[in-house]
Amino acid sequence: MSDTQWLRYEVFEKERPDLPHRNAGSVHAPDDEMALENARDVFVRRPNCLSLWVAPSNQIFTKTAEELAADSSWRAAPSRRSEVYLIFNKQGQRNAETFVSHVGEVEARSPQEALSKALEKFSRENVFVWWVCPAQAVTRSEDEDTESMFAPATSKMYRQPNFYKVVTEMQKLKREGEE
Amino acid sequence: MTYDEKLTAFEARIARGEKIEPGDWMPDEYRKQLIRMISQHGHSEIVGMLPEGKYITRAPNLRQKLVLLAKVQDEGGHGQYLYHAAETLGTTREEIVEALLTGKAKYSSVFNYPTLSWTDMGAIGWLVDGAAIMNQTMLAHCSYGPYSRAMVRICTEEGFHKKQGQEMVIRYAKGTPKQKAMVQDSINRWWWPSLMMFGPHDAVSPNSEQLIRWGIKTKTNDELRQEFVNEMVADLHAVDLSVPDPDLHFDEQTGNWISGEIDWDEFWRVVKGDGPCNKERLAARRKAHDDGLWVREAMAAYAQKTQRTTTA
Repeated sequence: MSDTQWLRYEVFEKERPDLPHRNAGSVHAPDDEMALENARDVFVRRPNCLSLWVAPSNQIFTKTAEELAADSSWRAAPSRRSEVYLIFNKQGQRNAETFVSHVGEVEARSPQEALSKALEKFSRENVFVWWVCPAQAVTRSEDEDTESMFAPATSKMYRQPNFYKVVTEMQKLKREGEE
Repeated sequence: MTYDEKLTAFEARIARGEKIEPGDWMPDEYRKQLIRMISQHGHSEIVGMLPEGKYITRAPNLRQKLVLLAKVQDEGGHGQYLYHAAETLGTTREEIVEALLTGKAKYSSVFNYPTLSWTDMGAIGWLVDGAAIMNQTMLAHCSYGPYSRAMVRICTEEGFHKKQGQEMVIRYAKGTPKQKAMVQDSINRWWWPSLMMFGPHDAVSPNSEQLIRWGIKTKTNDELRQEFVNEMVADLHAVDLSVPDPDLHFDEQTGNWISGEIDWDEFWRVVKGDGPCNKERLAARRKAHDDGLWVREAMAAYAQKTQRTTTA
């Protein structure tokens, strides 16, 4: 079934002006543009998205804190041309919807060098996972897309649990039953 | 480090409440159990679209149609979240889909029962999604990061699924005698399959002990089932509907509603492929996959033509 295996894209979602882009999961798509469309359909059925990024999974270099502690041989890597890399990391261990968050950028000549620089530039305290992705591999939703991609979700209030007043209705029924 | 040292460190991380992430060391058995559980869970969401999807064109009004459409669309999305989580363990989307289409993979047996009336949409939302939420709320605390996060996302969305079902059941229960009889019939047919969703009794559940030790599950099948029975019996009685179980009784000592024995012969029959709709469900999935082939081919051809993609 070779027809089903498209490239996997990681999806990053910005849910509030004061929050960074955060990894929500992944989608499969035949190209970058469809990846963005699929990401919208899979991850943005509720009104809480301001911007989406997608990047091919095979462009992302990752290391967990455990991997960093066990082995440093990854640091040696051939240099390519210098470019900007986006840095993401996972902080803390609470139960949450999101995984790694965008923390900033570094310029480097390989993903490995980008990670080495990130480990110096950003705090490592309470960080459990690092992701490094070349900025040019990321496809981003444009400001002008916001209306068509994300605004329709705000009119669909029936997707919210509080649209259904069943909790108060059950309480009322139970009180009536006791009387 | 030796295998035993790695295992000790791994179990200590779980005991500290840390999440295991892709890239971290994990025992093969942990990986294997998670791939099995997560892909089954994903298949349940995908196959779970079918019994309700049948009623999208039969909804009695536009509001109900919008609600049902949104719910079924969510289930499609939930399947995607779960397949994503399974892929982080090294399996591919291709392998996952193939296991479903060839009948090798299991999915929740509850979806092998037919939907026979409109009020089944209410019963499924309240009972089936209610049971699913109990299980998923527990799994949101799972030690494997990607599964836990998929569950957090799913649980926040499932609240809508359960409540729209509950709203419908209450409305019909308070309606005309004919409407009330209709919704009672739906409850009667979906009650036992919902209890079966929690799986075999703890004593005969081969995977439970290890799953709990590794923080994949934090409660047993019977514990979750009991929580569900306690909540549902009280609520169904409050809306003046009955539970189709002559042996159901309240135990003063424990404060639990004790249900009669589940028909385990039926349970295993349906699990092993001989339920009312097993063949129909698989045939529908295969047809959807085959019918979508030209779309996938067209998209791949267009992507290649425009060269906007990094080749896999």
